[in-house]
Amino acid sequence: MNAPVIAERHTAYRWGFLWAGGLIALFGAVLLATAFGKAGASAHAAAELALVAFGWGPLVSLLRAIAVALAPGRGDLAGFSPLFVAGAGFWAIAWGLIALGIRRSASGGEQASEAHGAALYPPLARYADFYWGTLLAYGGGILVSELVLVLLHTALIGGMGFGPTPRNGGAAQWGITHGMLRASPVSAFAISLLVAFAVAFAAGFAGASRARRLSVPEATVGIFYFGLPIPIGLTLLSSSSALQLRFGYRLREITYLASLIGRPELGYWLVFLGLSLMMILGITAGFVATGSGKVDLRAGFELFVARRHAAVFRPRLLLGLLVVLMLGIVPPLIIYAMMRAAEAAVERTRIRALGMSDPLKASEALDKLRTEEHSPTAMMTALSVGGVGVGVMALIIVLSVMSGFEIDLQQKILGTNAHIMVSKYSDSFTEYPEVTEKIRKVKGVLGTTPFVLGEVMVTTDKDNGGGLVVKGIDPTTVGDVTDLKKNILPGGSLDNLRHPENISSRRLIGEGVGASPISTSRTGGRQTDSEEEGVIERAQSSGSERVLPGIIIGAEMQSKLRVGVGDRVNMVSPLAGELGPQGPMPKSRPFRVAGIFYSGMYEYDLKFAYIELHEAQKFFNLPGITGIDIKVADIDDARRIAGAILDELDGYPYRAKDWGEMNRNLFSALALEKLVMGIILTIIVVVAAGLIIATVIMLVLEKRKEISVLKALGVPNGGIVKIFLAEGLQIGFAGGLLGLFAGVAWCLFIDKVGIKLDPQVYYIPQLPVRLEPVQTAISVVIAILVTYLASVYPAFKASQVEPVEGLKSE
Amino acid sequence: MPLLQVRDLFKSYFLHGKRIDVLRGVSLDIESGELVSLVGASGSGKSTLLHVLGMLDAPAAGQILFQGASLFELSEAAIADFRNRTIGFVFQSHYLLPEFTALENVAMPALIQRSDRAEALRYARELLERVELEARMDHRPGELSGGEAQRVALARALVLRPALLFADEPTGNLDPATGEGIHRLLREVNRDLGITAIVVTHNEALASSMPRRLRLFGGQVFPA
Repeated sequence: MNAPVIAERHTAYRWGFLWAGGLIALFGAVLLATAFGKAGASAHAAAELALVAFGWGPLVSLLRAIAVALAPGRGDLAGFSPLFVAGAGFWAIAWGLIALGIRRSASGGEQASEAHGAALYPPLARYADFYWGTLLAYGGGILVSELVLVLLHTALIGGMGFGPTPRNGGAAQWGITHGMLRASPVSAFAISLLVAFAVAFAAGFAGASRARRLSVPEATVGIFYFGLPIPIGLTLLSSSSALQLRFGYRLREITYLASLIGRPELGYWLVFLGLSLMMILGITAGFVATGSGKVDLRAGFELFVARRHAAVFRPRLLLGLLVVLMLGIVPPLIIYAMMRAAEAAVERTRIRALGMSDPLKASEALDKLRTEEHSPTAMMTALSVGGVGVGVMALIIVLSVMSGFEIDLQQKILGTNAHIMVSKYSDSFTEYPEVTEKIRKVKGVLGTTPFVLGEVMVTTDKDNGGGLVVKGIDPTTVGDVTDLKKNILPGGSLDNLRHPENISSRRLIGEGVGASPISTSRTGGRQTDSEEEGVIERAQSSGSERVLPGIIIGAEMQSKLRVGVGDRVNMVSPLAGELGPQGPMPKSRPFRVAGIFYSGMYEYDLKFAYIELHEAQKFFNLPGITGIDIKVADIDDARRIAGAILDELDGYPYRAKDWGEMNRNLFSALALEKLVMGIILTIIVVVAAGLIIATVIMLVLEKRKEISVLKALGVPNGGIVKIFLAEGLQIGFAGGLLGLFAGVAWCLFIDKVGIKLDPQVYYIPQLPVRLEPVQTAISVVIAILVTYLASVYPAFKASQVEPVEGLKSE
Repeated sequence: MPLLQVRDLFKSYFLHGKRIDVLRGVSLDIESGELVSLVGASGSGKSTLLHVLGMLDAPAAGQILFQGASLFELSEAAIADFRNRTIGFVFQSHYLLPEFTALENVAMPALIQRSDRAEALRYARELLERVELEARMDHRPGELSGGEAQRVALARALVLRPALLFADEPTGNLDPATGEGIHRLLREVNRDLGITAIVVTHNEALASSMPRRLRLFGGQVFPA
């Protein structure tokens, strides 16, 4: 038989050229990006690039052209539509004809085999189509979930319901009303995120259960094509003015939410990642559930097999791992090695003694000793559990300590500052009693106090001075809102502001000369060290000195100015004075130190000072006040209450800022820090996941024969996947629980027993720790999720083992 | 109607770029309750044919009809169900699952079906009694001898009372005496339970003791 020789076509690669070209291209791309960045056009370039990459460029241009054409007042609209329809119709018909014109013809071809004409094996005939329905399910799923998240979040925050807004009575405005469901940003986000997750999961599940195979191409194309536009758009929102104009206002709640963590882009992409992961979870669940034909979530048999294969929940193993986690690796390993050596020594002695009398029994015992060694997979399983445990434990401990610092900071800030501040856009805020009344009516408000704010300098007779922000306060009500009263050190008092004649200048010599911040207990009570109790009193009769208005300064400013209670300082304001021959003259007034406060925050103790409200009004020539400080019952609800207060006051010209907004930079920096820390620590879990992938792959390889046997006995593909998923999940659960246990135990240890810190550096006597349930739960859930995802690939590979493959290798 | 109808089975292997045609148009009919032996030279493809018949391997072309219905049209899950309920397979090596006891191994097909656990174990025990292995039912396969393991495998193949029993050189690894025991069991099972059985064997003596003999030669099946 002379079969014709079919020339084979080879592709030859010249790697030198390829590498050189690739590196130079990379370099060129970097330069291009820098160039665009310098021109401020990087966002524009990125947008164009995205359009090209997805192939939407022409489509978008076409749509723009159509929009331009349809814009009213432009050209002959009446003539446009029929022409457009006709033109588009011809175009479509033409391409259809062209497609029909290209057909694959039968080739002259090779010699037919003997099987020519026989009935083809059906799965061969059905091989590998691209399922458009599946693509629609996946792509549509991720797109819809993103839209749900954005829309639901905006709706929940704005409150739902139609109705005229108080300001523009008459015209109905969607969303900006006294909604029944007005929620705080965090809870709105949580709800929307959960709903979006459910949508993504359901879409993945539905798509996978109808598909005949795993559909990786459809999933990839779907997630990228349909899922990327919205995150890309949000990322470019801040830098592209065109997008900003069209969508900026409508998306303001989303951008606010993302800015809470400092870098909004991180938030968008993390959410996208989360939605994609949920979709992948749904896909795997759908495949597993329906791989057995119908939706079958029962796993009793599979768990039975999985537990035998990878015996993870053995008491000795778990206890050993727990000890390793709690005490570190080295001590338990040393103890274990010693124990094993002792056991072996005892056994060998016994065998030798036996060998003297009974050789057969001795060799049996020796053989038993040798075969007791654990299989490599058992050790890998233990290592994987340990790895996951370490990751979870690290996440819990570090995040709890960071929470501790955050809470401490928050307490200090909120002790000094108000939760909500109401101010006015104009200069004169005289109607504050009526405004205060209205504010008090809002639910959740606990206390209000008016204040005046101004910037001054203080000088002392010792020729030193410093800059201050001085706040005029109402001593009677300020205690309702801030902790100032509590923070005042002994020797001074808030009352001295009201009754400055009571200020006695008793100088405590322990203070004033380079005094260091006084150490405090964690709860904020102030105590002087016993060493500084040495007080030499130089009592002066208050009658011999002029009565000056009182000023309360911070402990840091006090040590800078080297003054004490009763000393005189001059408050100087460059702008508040009268007009002199050379312009405004600085105004100077003497004050008497009425007290020293210590809040625990260096900046506050240095920068702030308090005087009586009317004194401040006199000094700054203000008829009214600067604003009203408000305290609320639930600080997490502050933003919503601020919105409610604003509504109560009918909006402009008033404004209400919540503490989150006022301290946004600080708290968003903290939140970002925590998020990044969490991500970095999650890398530990991801590394453990790599270990799990390796372990499950080894399990699969070790058990190839058994997979074939199980398939021969009638276990469907979905069942095999379930078995190995169960084995992987066992590792994840065990590791997660161990890590949870160890992490919580360590946190309790840090809390109760304590790790000391230098109070002069940290303003806190011991390491703070705050175990937050949600955070801790998320850490464990992340570990289990990562484990699940890690097991997916090996489990699916296991299910693809044909029954004969494992059997033939024997 | 014959229980099993096979038409024009083609199967090839691909080794180092070469195509080796093993089955080249195999056709045969098996009636219900038959006891058939399949012989052939080493490497002639007997195991391959049995694997294809047992739905463990996929051919390139051909048809297999079971009670008139084409098996290749079934979905993946339906094929798995078919393997579970309708086929019992005994391999040359026992292929028992090493982490489970003999009793659990025998009950495995029933457990896969998710039938009641206690009931499955009870019937498995009955079968073990039948093959005279009740005493070893809590032992792991590693603790059983070759003949004992093969008997356990046979019991496993029978636990769901399958319509078809395929045995691929079941006594290939055993000594003649033990092998004879297995053969006797096969004949008993076929006679008492009416199970249709196809037995691949090297052993011409055993083959001739079976009522129907087939020979695989040149990729096709002929009566022997």
